[in-house]
Amino acid sequence: MTENNFNRRDFLKLSAVGVAVAVGTRAITQAEASSGQKGEHQWAMVIDQAKCTGCGYCTLACQAHNDVNPDIQWNKVLDAGEINGEKVYLARPCMQCEHAPCVEVCPVGASYYRDDGIVMMDYDKCIGCRYCQVACPFDARSFNWEAFTGENPAVPEWGTPEVERRPRGVPEKCAFCYQRIDRGLELDLTPGVDADATPACVVACPTGARMFGDLNDPNSNVSQILRKHVSYRLRENLGTGSRVYYLPVDDKVTEG
Amino acid sequence: MKKILATIFKTIRENIFTPWGLWLAFLGVILLSALVAGIMIFWKGLVITNLTNLVPWGLWITIDLSSIAVSAGAFSLCAGVYLFGLKRYAPLARTATFIGLIGYTMAMLALVLDIGRPDRFYKALMFWNVHSLMWEVTMCVMLYLTVLVFESMPIFASLEWLRTRYPLLAKKMESIHHYAPFLAIIGLGLSSLHQSSLGAMYGVIKARPYLYKPEMAALFMFSAIVGGIALTLLASMLSSRLTSKARVNDILIERVSQFLSYLLIGYLYIRFWDWMASRYMHEPGRTEAYHLLTVGPLSFNFWFGELLLGILVPLILLLYRPTRLSPFWRMLALAMVVGGVVAFRYDINIVGQLAVISYLPGEAVVSYTAYSPSLVEWASGMGIVAYGLLAFSLGVKYLRVVDHRLTDEEHEVVTVKSTETVHA
Repeated sequence: MTENNFNRRDFLKLSAVGVAVAVGTRAITQAEASSGQKGEHQWAMVIDQAKCTGCGYCTLACQAHNDVNPDIQWNKVLDAGEINGEKVYLARPCMQCEHAPCVEVCPVGASYYRDDGIVMMDYDKCIGCRYCQVACPFDARSFNWEAFTGENPAVPEWGTPEVERRPRGVPEKCAFCYQRIDRGLELDLTPGVDADATPACVVACPTGARMFGDLNDPNSNVSQILRKHVSYRLRENLGTGSRVYYLPVDDKVTEG
Repeated sequence: MKKILATIFKTIRENIFTPWGLWLAFLGVILLSALVAGIMIFWKGLVITNLTNLVPWGLWITIDLSSIAVSAGAFSLCAGVYLFGLKRYAPLARTATFIGLIGYTMAMLALVLDIGRPDRFYKALMFWNVHSLMWEVTMCVMLYLTVLVFESMPIFASLEWLRTRYPLLAKKMESIHHYAPFLAIIGLGLSSLHQSSLGAMYGVIKARPYLYKPEMAALFMFSAIVGGIALTLLASMLSSRLTSKARVNDILIERVSQFLSYLLIGYLYIRFWDWMASRYMHEPGRTEAYHLLTVGPLSFNFWFGELLLGILVPLILLLYRPTRLSPFWRMLALAMVVGGVVAFRYDINIVGQLAVISYLPGEAVVSYTAYSPSLVEWASGMGIVAYGLLAFSLGVKYLRVVDHRLTDEEHEVVTVKSTETVHA
């Protein structure tokens, strides 16, 4: 009798402790989790489709500066049909979503938000489960199916690597050249204005189709352009809140 | 050394042409080729698979999902026996627990192959993203595997070698049986959580229109319970027919089979309802995937594998008394149920990844991807299945995993003890 009561009580005690630990840890992790919107800056990119010629310099600059395997493109330039007989292109970096599916699904938190909204990858934490790849609506993540060991053909013509090469077995993606932004801010430069603090693809674009800046600053070029022009974001219906805005070709046509 | 080798060779020579020897040799060949495939995968990386950035989850994930599904007999039968007091089914719970232990280790093996960084497996336990369903599944599976290890301690205690060599340890291991009701509660909780979360994991993926629906969790839960019970019954019946080491009480199995037919009605209901509801969602991507499933390349799998042979035919065979009483028809029906659940897991994993919606503006272009497993994927995947079969066969032979008569007696001793615990 008594022995059994003991067992039951022990069991309840044990479960209570278990629940307390679980809730406690949960609270701590939640406090650490960030929506990525509390930072001083909120970086965003604007891509003007009317100016984009589909040359692909952005992709090459990206591959050089981020030391990307030539089989992988963080920034893809896609054929987006024709308007008034002219070809239209769509350049697609990572959308740096406000509610990023990849961050939500990552079991170990290897994908996370920086305070300035950039969706980051911790390549040392990732276990390579590829749930983020299944979950990304923009196909923005590429898996390292094999190690990238050879020479990078985009170097040195298109730039020099600024970040470490990713190992085999983890997915990788664009992170708005966070290394350039961080270094630039340290040197009192303004990302989006000074080339050294701006993502490589924006700097490399020969037609100026890409703009970069701080949405928190109403005078930044991206804030001004988004106020003046009609813009759209990819798959807005999913509600992921992407930080890459596109200026459509049609808008320019009607303006002219 | 030479002497030992000589004895080993002699034993092999003498036993290879017995059914048991041939069975072991057959499994050994598969396991050996799986070993080669596994080494190749770790050496060269996942580049030698047919997985792509758009279809990153393939055959291994299907094996992972299926082995977890067919392990669900452990929690459902243990709950029945230890929580709902259906004590006479305890021998079945013993079999189910052992199958559960094997199934979950199979899933672990599949995951070790599948993840890009198996060397960082432990990080899944260290770093928590509590918002991720996969985190929840990982935690529950790890904890439940621990529960299964405890639940199967009394089974391992019946190993003859352990009993004679370390009688005290064997006794201690056997005494864990006292905690069976508590373990059953924890097991029920953990299993309900992760069996459904496994489906929810797919259900939250906005990027894959066909998968993005709430009923995924319920579908996974139902299919798991049905498949788990069916495999337990099938494995018990099959081994009792193949070896004298296994003895079953056919009345128990027949009763549970009848109960299984009622569960099948529930599974049919939700699968049918899911199919009907999807029919009317003319949403880009979803409709295309639905067509792949119902009239496209997966249609045979869907109509025959999942619905007709997986649910309808076994349902009739198990509901109709004469066929249920016949061991042949019953075993056939149970095998069909297991096959149907595997077919369901395969279809669900692959169909959402095969039709992808493009992110180009203005038009909802659906692009189709393709996937068929490579030879290394097959070889290593079949190795995991062979490991499961080998472990179960050894369990039947040496641990009396399927032994309704002997464990009955043994259980009587334990019953007294456990009734003390439960009643007092």
